[in-house]
Amino acid sequence: MTTRLAVLYLVSRRVPAAFAAVIAVGAALRLALIWDWDSYGALQLPFVLETGCATVIAAAIASPFGDPERATGRRLPVLRLSATLALTCGTAAALAAAGTGAHLVGGFLGAARNLVGGTGIGLACAVVLGGGMAWTGPAAYMVIGTYSLYAVWHGGAASGPWIWPARPPQDLGAWLCAGLVFAAGVALSTVRGARGQAAD
Amino acid sequence: MTTAGATALGPRPLRPRAGAVLAVGRMFRLELLHSAMLWLLPLAAGLFWYDAYRPSMAVPPLWSLRALTMQHGALLTFVLPVVGAASWMGSRDSRRGMGDLAGIAARPRWVRQLVSWAAVTGWALAGYAVCVGVLYAATARQAAWGGPLWWPAVVGAAGIPLLAAIGFAAGSCFPGRFTTPLVSIAAFFGLGFSSELAHGGTSYWQISPIIAGAVDVGPDPGVATFYPYLPDLPIAQLMFLAGLAVAVLGALGWPAGSGSRWLRGTAVLVTIAGLISSATAVGLVGTARLDPHGMMNIPALHDAANDQPIRYSPVCSQAAIAVCLNPAFAAYLPVVTSALQPVVSEVSGLASTPTRILQAAPTFTQEPNDAIGIGAPGLPGTGAIAGARPRVLIVALPDQLPGERQPDLTTAEFADQVRAQVGVSLADYVIGSDRRHSQAQQAVRAGMLIAAGVRLVAPGQRMDERGVTARGPAPGTAVYRAAQRFAALPGAARLAWLRAHLRGLRAGRITLGELP
Repeated sequence: MTTRLAVLYLVSRRVPAAFAAVIAVGAALRLALIWDWDSYGALQLPFVLETGCATVIAAAIASPFGDPERATGRRLPVLRLSATLALTCGTAAALAAAGTGAHLVGGFLGAARNLVGGTGIGLACAVVLGGGMAWTGPAAYMVIGTYSLYAVWHGGAASGPWIWPARPPQDLGAWLCAGLVFAAGVALSTVRGARGQAAD
Repeated sequence: MTTAGATALGPRPLRPRAGAVLAVGRMFRLELLHSAMLWLLPLAAGLFWYDAYRPSMAVPPLWSLRALTMQHGALLTFVLPVVGAASWMGSRDSRRGMGDLAGIAARPRWVRQLVSWAAVTGWALAGYAVCVGVLYAATARQAAWGGPLWWPAVVGAAGIPLLAAIGFAAGSCFPGRFTTPLVSIAAFFGLGFSSELAHGGTSYWQISPIIAGAVDVGPDPGVATFYPYLPDLPIAQLMFLAGLAVAVLGALGWPAGSGSRWLRGTAVLVTIAGLISSATAVGLVGTARLDPHGMMNIPALHDAANDQPIRYSPVCSQAAIAVCLNPAFAAYLPVVTSALQPVVSEVSGLASTPTRILQAAPTFTQEPNDAIGIGAPGLPGTGAIAGARPRVLIVALPDQLPGERQPDLTTAEFADQVRAQVGVSLADYVIGSDRRHSQAQQAVRAGMLIAAGVRLVAPGQRMDERGVTARGPAPGTAVYRAAQRFAALPGAARLAWLRAHLRGLRAGRITLGELP
């Protein structure tokens, strides 16, 4: 019964399609890394595609049923949390696989940090704006992050830890900020779920 | 009252075509009210402020610098909101399960889609116009001279219909919850990284609308300041963007159910026309060459009238040797004048001293490995002003202004550059411009520069990257020792010796041993 519930939940959130999308983005990253990117493009490229993965995870939490499901589903928080964590871990694995044997700037640590931070923003946006517009938060943050990477490459001032993509992958402050955002996003989305319905 | 009379008094029935236009107009109004783009305008404005307005306003207030910097960032900031909103609107019918309901509407599906796309595009263009208008208004308040460059703004605006078309087509063809985020990110990726692929002066990738001018030159104070902004590349970019937008929108009308056979046939023709326009534009860009003024010249689109220099009245300092700059650089006149003062004091009153130092346009040449050579100005740059006036030293200012780009340059470093680069030209002018200086000329030139505070670098040694040094004699040589001796003299003694011996020095008749 529990397994069936989990399967139904995952199907209703298009999690298989989300995994397919994430694998496609990972493949795109792998293909892009074949190209010899110079200058700041090498810094921005992984971050842009990591953000793409984060928007997919955020979009996946939207419910196609809306209030009826909220009123009747007692195990929704557990299902939301499990699906989100599974998607995030699966995406991190896909990114790690994409970066294997290639020069991924920032390495797996940087990719994982950017992914969890972007996912946290996306989940929070899903709660506030709805699943359909959840992508706007990570996408806007991506513009800020790519500009910061551009500025860093040109010798500009270092960004604060809240602009974590522009910090080194081992930077503790950046990790804390990204982790905090992720925790907040996961907590909000677990308790509240995405606003409205997926079609809104 | 007859029936005929009642008919005559009632509202006149509209002709079918006028009725159709009115209906489409009403549909457009409804789409405007319900367009997702309206709600994403604040996001677009915020991103524009962060990624286009701030970087543009951070550079010195020269129209060329501001407009070209803006073109790179403006369209990038609108990609995500425009593509996202268009994709969301394109998938609306399928998302809400209204495909069958909308399918029996009075208007063909293609027309309804075009109206919805037009609403997204209209809002986005309105937002873009406001954002660019604010930036240009702020620049107009700060710029000392010149007028707005409209082509960079127009190229950005022309990209918006294409972005909306791509988003709309993606949402319409692949309706789903992941389509909007993925196509938005993909469009950002494609547009943002298109400039990375452009290398050298002949790259086809210069068709990318975020490339403003010559890809290896970038925004430069010497570009489009002395000569008109060349619209060759922007025209090709416009052709490409408009053609591709038309092609994508035309492709929306292909599927069965989009409209009548006549309408679908029209859609196919429109698509083909759009693709031809885009392909032609790409081909034209491949023929582009860097012109000496730092802009791209496409022979088939080039108007020779744009090769004439812009006429202006230079702003001049009141000094022993007047320093005259293009009025766009008026803010730099005090720092340039004071930076040159130590060199000017070395030569003032001499027979061969110029009466004016006149800023002219630098010359740009494409070099291997994506390098750009920025050369000393030729006489034609300000021929209209310099005319046949004798004793005018024509120079270019250093390539980078303070605050223009990273790594940044302080005003003090800029002054050092001016002293080193323009100071060398001034010294050469006074003691003889022949490159094969005699040893005495080399020593005097070096001595004057040392006394003026210019750091010299020996031949074979690497020049500093900041451009604050000049070439000088190698340490330990006789010329070097003579230069040190000459520099150590009191300023008045140096000037007196030069007054007495300048003619012989310029003619190469003075030997090293005759120097004081």
